[in-house]
Amino acid sequence: MTSLSLFAPSKLIRFGSLAWITAFVAFIAVLPLLYVVRYGLSLSSEQWLSLWSTRIPGLLWNTIVLAFIVAIFSLTFGISSAWIVARKDFVGRKAAIWLLLLPLTIPTYVFAHIYTVMLEEDGWLGSAWISIFGEGTLPPDLSSVVGVAFILALASFSYIFLLVRASLNQSTQNLEEAARIQGLNPVQVFTRVNLRLMRPAIAAGLAVVVLHVLSDFGAVSMLRYQTFTLSIYNQMSGRMDYQAAAGLSFVLILLSLSFLVVERFFRKRQRFFVSSQAKVVQRKKASLKEQMLIWFWIGLITLFSFILPVSWMVYFSWDSWLQGFIDSDFWRYSFNSGLVSFIAATIALVVAFPVAFYNARKQSKLSRGYLQTASLGFALPGPVLALGVLTFVLAQLPIIYGAISALVFAMVIRFLPLAVQAQDAALQQLTPSIEEAGRLFGAGPIENLRRVILPIVRSGMATAWVLVFIDVLKELPATLILRPTGFDTLPIRIWIEASEEMLELAAPAGLMLVIGTIPAIWLMRQSEKIN
Amino acid sequence: MLAIFSPVLVVAEELVVFSGRKDKFIKPVAKEFTRQTGIEVLLHTAKSTALLNKLKLEGERTDADLYISNDAGNLQKGSDLDLFQALPSELSQKIPANYRAADGTWLGLSARARVLVVNTKSDLAGQVNSVFDLADPKLKNKIAITHSANGSFIAGVTVYMLKQGDEQTLNWMKGLNENAGRNIFNKHSRVVKAVAKGKADVGLVNHYYIYRHLAKNPNAPIEIVVPDQGDGMGVAWNVAGVAISKHTKKKDAAIKFVEFLVSEKGQQMFSEVNKEYPTLPNVKTAAEIPKLANMKVSDVAMAKLGQNRNATIDLIEKSGLQ
Repeated sequence: MTSLSLFAPSKLIRFGSLAWITAFVAFIAVLPLLYVVRYGLSLSSEQWLSLWSTRIPGLLWNTIVLAFIVAIFSLTFGISSAWIVARKDFVGRKAAIWLLLLPLTIPTYVFAHIYTVMLEEDGWLGSAWISIFGEGTLPPDLSSVVGVAFILALASFSYIFLLVRASLNQSTQNLEEAARIQGLNPVQVFTRVNLRLMRPAIAAGLAVVVLHVLSDFGAVSMLRYQTFTLSIYNQMSGRMDYQAAAGLSFVLILLSLSFLVVERFFRKRQRFFVSSQAKVVQRKKASLKEQMLIWFWIGLITLFSFILPVSWMVYFSWDSWLQGFIDSDFWRYSFNSGLVSFIAATIALVVAFPVAFYNARKQSKLSRGYLQTASLGFALPGPVLALGVLTFVLAQLPIIYGAISALVFAMVIRFLPLAVQAQDAALQQLTPSIEEAGRLFGAGPIENLRRVILPIVRSGMATAWVLVFIDVLKELPATLILRPTGFDTLPIRIWIEASEEMLELAAPAGLMLVIGTIPAIWLMRQSEKIN
Repeated sequence: MLAIFSPVLVVAEELVVFSGRKDKFIKPVAKEFTRQTGIEVLLHTAKSTALLNKLKLEGERTDADLYISNDAGNLQKGSDLDLFQALPSELSQKIPANYRAADGTWLGLSARARVLVVNTKSDLAGQVNSVFDLADPKLKNKIAITHSANGSFIAGVTVYMLKQGDEQTLNWMKGLNENAGRNIFNKHSRVVKAVAKGKADVGLVNHYYIYRHLAKNPNAPIEIVVPDQGDGMGVAWNVAGVAISKHTKKKDAAIKFVEFLVSEKGQQMFSEVNKEYPTLPNVKTAAEIPKLANMKVSDVAMAKLGQNRNATIDLIEKSGLQ
């Protein structure tokens, strides 16, 4: 709630200046991108040619295939589970919602690390596999494209669950009733009515998932699967070849942008206004047989995406606790993580609001352009963004270098898209008539904002804040580069301990990330209820 | 609250060390130094390569006083980029010329050998004695290696490349790719484990990983084979080392730290914690590792590892090794 009170006394938003503020935010967000483009363009045509002939085709193929498989996995997990909890009433429904959101708290590199260890022949899953399929069989290999996709899908399907469920809760059931009366069977109702109404939410969820895949560093680097992001990192750090890195980043950005354009195309004109009549969602009571099926499916998803990894972390954390590894340093890392995430999420929320609000009111090409521009940070892989910010800060703002400001700056730019998109989605519910009603009753712009607009978008704002908070908390590659000297966060420690093969030390840090995120998710769930 | 937004104020007597070496190996040494001198040490740990990038981009704004890396290649790269300053010659001359920069900008502190780990129950025991044997078609599906982006792997390939030429090394890597099958791991410890469990008969690792495994599993059926002895090219070698940042404002304290690291006490602590070989002559080594006196070490100067790094990566990429 603290984050919301920031808006209340705001004299900042006079509507004439809204456009200027929006333009400014978009400009800042695009700065590191400009740096990459400038560097990329300085490549000679021979250098481009050699990149094209050696690296780019393979990387394109690897990256696109990976994104495609992750998309299929996460859509399957996300849509099915969202539909079940939104439309069926069954025992333990609330617990199921929590279990399906909690995988968001586990970073991809922790998933990759835990599953690698669990799948070894003497690991939890590896030994189970051998006892089932017999001596001499090999547990599945994670470093294949399907293995990497599985890990990334476990870590990101919750975004689709979150957005699709919200849209199912908001969409009217009248249409479903009408379709049923017309004699459509449940499957037809789902494909012809639900799926179409869910399309904007699915597209938005898919965008978040795919952009996470394109910019993922943790899992692909642990499993050695060559994507653009990993190759860019290797160019930068192995060879110190910034030019090739910038060239590859340039291609990656084009890839992300073309994906965003396609996504927007699917969302086009899909603006559904909430009708006030059917706000109460009725869930059908599931029969015993259905309940068993439901829990089999949700149980399976959550077993792999949350229960197993967390049990593993608890088990090894207990070990570390006994050995006295959890000391004052550990609490300092936790505090550092929380501090950066809290500040970055709050700033992102504040600066994203004018961009989303301006678009909701204007709905013009320009306003959409600003919105898209402010969403570009996601298209940049962490290491590249960090390099851009580092160069910019050293050249233009050396005074803030060495403190956490540079890190926070990078985090805000990187995760601004989540804040912008979530608030944009919420503000889209704001029909012009609601605002006009406010005006008719004599409310000035500020009062209208405070008493009419903010209450409606509150849940979207809480979601925005929480999503940014969680992502900053888990962020690794940019933090590695931009953190102040000696400033370690939980992900940094996980990364250090995991690369030192000190499993029992990485576990408590991973567990702390999960525990630290629970209040944030609780906050998000609360605001849903108020709405 | 405001303090966190302004640049960190570093305490007068505190050295900032950019360290690419494992925290747990460097912490005890730093503690002992602090105990002796009263100078605090702040470790900023990350990948050696990333820290070099940071040093380079920060230029004179850096607050790093020293740089420590596990790989001579990185140290030499830093020298080539002019990120370090020369150490006093009476200090660097304590270390044999092979294990330091020619211009005295970095010093090797502890050395490790690139060796073979062999399963004693396999029929290969006693049969392989060169790293080049690993590419023999008879060893298909019998070898285990790390992936080729591993820093120690790259440094090893540089030595083979300089001793045996590009052509032979390239073919060797193609053979490795054929023979390794699924046994390409992201960590050395998993290579040793695979050999101990009989998933592979022989693996290519740094020597200390074998002893780390044996410390936990004393009865594991594995043994060390120091390759390429006798008339061979000698075992490939790499050193961890230290350099003083060009832009340090605490040169005297930094020199004191290096002095401690090359003292007998410092050398013993630095190497023994990881069962490596001290670079200062006549310092005791851990009892279980092969005696240095009985070992033929390839004569490639450590500085070459940095100078040939990009060429090595090119060759690895050409081979198609994962």
